[in-house]
Amino acid sequence: MAHDHDHGHTAVKLEYQPALPIGRGKLCLWLFLSTEIMFFAGLIGTYIVLRFGAPPESWPLPHDVHLQEFIGAFNTFVLICSSVTIVLALEAARGNHAGLSKFWMVATFLLGSVFLGVKAYEYNEKFKHGIFPAKPHSLLYEKADLNYVAAVRQSLAPKSLALTEKLPELTAKRDPLLAKLDAGQALTEQDQQQFTELNRQLLPNDLQYDLVQWTELIAAKDPDQAQRRRALESLAVAIYPLRPLGKEGAEMEHHYVQMLDEEAKTVRHQMQELEKDRSLAQNELAAKKAESDALTAEIAPVQMQRDMIQKEIERLQKAETTTAATEEAPSNLVSLQPPATQPPTANPQVEKLKTELAALDAQLMPKLEAQRALLAEQQRIFEREAAFTTELKRYQGRVRLLLYTLKAAPHGLNHTFSELRLPMVIPSGNMWASTYFLLTGFHAIHVLVGLIAFVLVLFYKLDRTKAHILENVGLYWHFVDLVWIFLFPLLYLF
Amino acid sequence: MADLAPTDPRYPGHGYDPLEHGDEHGHGHGPSGVGKYVIVFLVLLGLTAVSYLVGNSQTLREKSPGVMWAAMMAVSCAKAMLVILFFMHMLWEANWKYVLTIPASMMSIFLLLMLIPDVGRRVDRYSEERWLYAAQPDSNSHAVAKAAEQHGHDKAGKSDAAGEQPAANH
Repeated sequence: MAHDHDHGHTAVKLEYQPALPIGRGKLCLWLFLSTEIMFFAGLIGTYIVLRFGAPPESWPLPHDVHLQEFIGAFNTFVLICSSVTIVLALEAARGNHAGLSKFWMVATFLLGSVFLGVKAYEYNEKFKHGIFPAKPHSLLYEKADLNYVAAVRQSLAPKSLALTEKLPELTAKRDPLLAKLDAGQALTEQDQQQFTELNRQLLPNDLQYDLVQWTELIAAKDPDQAQRRRALESLAVAIYPLRPLGKEGAEMEHHYVQMLDEEAKTVRHQMQELEKDRSLAQNELAAKKAESDALTAEIAPVQMQRDMIQKEIERLQKAETTTAATEEAPSNLVSLQPPATQPPTANPQVEKLKTELAALDAQLMPKLEAQRALLAEQQRIFEREAAFTTELKRYQGRVRLLLYTLKAAPHGLNHTFSELRLPMVIPSGNMWASTYFLLTGFHAIHVLVGLIAFVLVLFYKLDRTKAHILENVGLYWHFVDLVWIFLFPLLYLF
Repeated sequence: MADLAPTDPRYPGHGYDPLEHGDEHGHGHGPSGVGKYVIVFLVLLGLTAVSYLVGNSQTLREKSPGVMWAAMMAVSCAKAMLVILFFMHMLWEANWKYVLTIPASMMSIFLLLMLIPDVGRRVDRYSEERWLYAAQPDSNSHAVAKAAEQHGHDKAGKSDAAGEQPAANH
């Protein structure tokens, strides 16, 4: 009992310790790291929560936002390597191998720089394709709605406007080539080159009318809601299709090209209907013209007769007034009073002609009336025909756009004609961009701070007296690696 | 290279606790010195490859994305543990490590949990008007085409399914 008691007393050797059993620098760094754990946990947690809380099926695939998994994997590899090199630097310093330690530190610095370089390449890849965290540079839209189409129109407007002057010349050059293509003839190589060039120059104008306006008209006028939606969506797909890589994507692309062909067929069919309507209108116009010509033929002799009578009356009246004037002239010469207008003596010949004229007028009036009505109707039909003609031109433009432009750009207009930089629909793309740039940006800032620390450390002789500095820098760097270990799967693979 | 391993407990910056060193050298954690770092490095590379393969597996993504996500997170946690234990020397630190890491980790988890009701489930409470401006997958996209396929529509990619989709989102 006593022995036990004694033993207990001797075993417990309490030592007073003023703080945690680590150096002050290391303690501070660990405190800092624990706040960093919470900081990044907050960021990563928010990302997870936003990503899985996004409207269903709307989070973009890596491929949709120009994110390449293997680049992310490579960066992971680089960071893991740098973690190993900095550990080796610490071990070398503890073993008092200053040169070796410096070598590993330089290696770590280079690896960190490689990571940042790859990051810069990745950012540039996004910026090139209009993926920014915010407007005005961002080209991302959440859904294909009228707001989106308006944005596309606005984006095309200045380019289309700049074309106005050259438009007639370019169109005149392209039209014969188009006519050849429409007729199903193959172009010679030179012609094909010229055609491609002209098409490229005229593209903003073509798109403004045959893609945007076409869609807007359907979206505004079509009574079928599904049709309206489909028109808006096919515009979005024409500009930036969202397809997975591989077989499925290829299949979808095939479907898309087939749909273009089908639409071209439908529009051509509608064109035939329109042409029928137009020729009906033309026939009607011709009929009305014949009718009015006949009427004119009827009216003409009567009119001539009327004119003759009119002239005769005038001649008689003139003769009468001149005789009256010569008779009265002397007596009125000194008179200050105005000459009393005498009612012209009723000339029986004039009276007779006047009744004749009235009879002719009565005969002519309804005919002239009918003629006027006919002309008005002709004008109406003519306008209708002209409307058919413009409509036909619009349909033709659409068919040509489908067959010669959209079919040539199955990966999307933004891909094939990258200089256009049209607004594109990537559902939840804005949220994706915000979170991606925020997370990777904060991480990149940490990498940058690490690199600065490395440079500062490299000024020392890295022997064992400096090992504690290396240890602290290393702890920080491992934490940066740690964050990336979570960011890589979350951002690239989820 | 084995001589690079720390041997002198008196150099500054290294812990004062004699137990720490007893731990490091007495029990032996596999290969000593540089060797263990190389092994950890190789394991980390292997785990990165695993998460890359899992993340790129189309069958897993289509059939059970939940399993895929959980697997990738598990791999990430394993990698994080390796880095913390070996590279950050937590394996050989004294008990003070728990004072710092456990509260921070708990705070992180609470933070995440607190985000879920308001941010994570925000779509549940979207008004009709809010849906008008919400992101909406276009019906030509693969995901919707697939959903349409599952719901018994004839063919994916056919534009016939297009008009019927918006109702499914609301």
